[in-house]
Amino acid sequence: MEETKTFRAGVLSVVKHCYLPRAVAAHPRFELVVVTDDADQPDWVHVRNQNFADEFGIPYVRDVAKAIAEYDLDMAAVSPEAERHCDLAVRAADAGLHVIADKPMSTRLSECDRLVEAVRRNNVKFLLWNRNYLPAVIQAKEAIGSGAIGELQAIHVDFYFSKDAGPPKGSRAEVDSPIDWLQRQMEAHADGSDGGVGSEAMGELQIEGIYPLGYVHLLTDQNVQRVFARTATHFHQANVDNNVDDLATVSLELCGGIIGSLCIGRIGAASHPDIGEIKIHVIGAKGGLVISEARPEVSIYYRDQPPLEFKNERIANENDFLLMDDFARALDTGSEPILNAQAGRDIAATVFAAVESGKTGQLVEVIC
Amino acid sequence: MIRLALISSAETAEAYGSISTRLHRAAWAAYAPVDSGGSGKALGQVTEATSASALIAGQADAFDAVVIDADQAAAQRLVKEASASGKPVLAGATGGSLAALGQADTLLMPAHPWRFLPSVQSVKRSLDDNKLGQAGLLRIHRWLPPGEGVGVLADRILPDADLACWLFGSAPETVWSLQSAANPEYIQFHLGFANDGMAMIDVAASLPSGGDYFSLTMIGGTGAAYADDHHNMNLLFSGGQPNAIRASLGRADLVGQLQEFVDAISEQRAPSVTVADTTRAASVVDQVLESAKSRQVIGGKEVS
Repeated sequence: MEETKTFRAGVLSVVKHCYLPRAVAAHPRFELVVVTDDADQPDWVHVRNQNFADEFGIPYVRDVAKAIAEYDLDMAAVSPEAERHCDLAVRAADAGLHVIADKPMSTRLSECDRLVEAVRRNNVKFLLWNRNYLPAVIQAKEAIGSGAIGELQAIHVDFYFSKDAGPPKGSRAEVDSPIDWLQRQMEAHADGSDGGVGSEAMGELQIEGIYPLGYVHLLTDQNVQRVFARTATHFHQANVDNNVDDLATVSLELCGGIIGSLCIGRIGAASHPDIGEIKIHVIGAKGGLVISEARPEVSIYYRDQPPLEFKNERIANENDFLLMDDFARALDTGSEPILNAQAGRDIAATVFAAVESGKTGQLVEVIC
Repeated sequence: MIRLALISSAETAEAYGSISTRLHRAAWAAYAPVDSGGSGKALGQVTEATSASALIAGQADAFDAVVIDADQAAAQRLVKEASASGKPVLAGATGGSLAALGQADTLLMPAHPWRFLPSVQSVKRSLDDNKLGQAGLLRIHRWLPPGEGVGVLADRILPDADLACWLFGSAPETVWSLQSAANPEYIQFHLGFANDGMAMIDVAASLPSGGDYFSLTMIGGTGAAYADDHHNMNLLFSGGQPNAIRASLGRADLVGQLQEFVDAISEQRAPSVTVADTTRAASVVDQVLESAKSRQVIGGKEVS
């Protein structure tokens, strides 16, 4: 039996859903050895880091440089608030560690550029977390790759997450203070709807846009050149109070003459029986493809079923495992991960351009 | 009982004949072909004229209202003739110049059968009943195989432009569209409505020959409606991978539209589809095509 290296992973902050370090821990090629963060972080960050470390029986070190120096790490799993993603990832890369980072890549394009440069300079591998290994997405990739629909001409992604995000729009009394973004995200940790955790408020485009645009990138292998977007706060008071979108439509012009669109929203739990309506539509020179991202799934209904329990359960979903497999392959062979730093940065640039277009009503060139 | 005349191809007469038993307060009474050789036999025992003009001019006593289904040029001429005779008219394929047709005191209902599709009716009803809250996002994917039925681009996208205006209750404030350089039969348009409403629509007429595809999603502030062919597919096994076959909606669209026409006449009210609706949709179509050509956002904010 061939001996394979087990990669030692440090968790650089874990304040969100923690799916990322859990996926690292679940893969046989990786081992979590330490959780670390900066000492000057607020208490709630330390509490979450400590809880995660305790659960996995590993130490929590309040000094990132020290943890990197003392625990013989191969890689870092970076999962802090969004505004700290790039900073921690750059510090890990500069220490020679390979990096897996949670989405979104950053709240600033300049930070994404800094990360791309650090990954290049240190010759390390970087994977931005994504959903490109969901069974239906793989099926879409295979169908397009087989030539069944001919050369790709247009691609559309509908991406509506149905999780609620706090009180509905219009529910705040005039005498009440606007909802504090970070406070709301911290409260949302309990039900896993804290995808936007951080001090800087982010709209749905910024928080989740990486996923559908990751599909576009995977299926077309092209960058977006120009966007036109409309954005709105349609559902949630926290988004209204913090002036960030929860519904958006984006027209996409890609390299290679491909055109497309993205419709995205945090549409509320009442608007879908499951996690949301997520679909990919592709037009090729010889045909078309309609993919439901949720499939395969099993429907389960029963007496006294909690109203918010999904009636359709996704099955055979190996996305997390396959992402880690992909990353292990990259470390073993030197190949590039399925969504590397440059691709992640280019997607972030598309998101920022769309946000700008939504605010200005103008066409916006994507900075590539 | 309202006596209806039909001016159409024989094929359309077959479709209308198949729904005749479902009509309330109306029955087919007369038929004229739009082209030579057409027969109204499918409508049952009706008065048949050799041409539409002969029917309108010579046998007007045989019917109370007329349904015209013809190509755009013929439809415009026939609407004018029928309206001049004072008969209520339900007319399809008339394009955007309807306002210049007909008489002010004559009922003229443009045919918008897409509004009467059971799936679309269900979505509209849920909006009207305020189940979905304020309309936020309309998403339509409509793909067709090429062929005679798809018409020119402007006619092809008019139904979707109309659906968007109808569901949002107004014309869009901004229009942006993209066409594929590699596929002239493909267009997508992005409409912005008042109160942050938005629509994203793609229409392709480049599928391989065979079935078409339609998907409409309306997302409102408190709910969402999904009318999606993908969801309504059954499976046919005949070797190899199974084929998807769509559960049929029948011709409920024709029944609904025709009954609305009849009811509007009976109740002496305006029909739910008006000339202004067609004119509005046609104007949006013009803007969509202009945006695709000029590569500019129509009606967008001024550049600061």
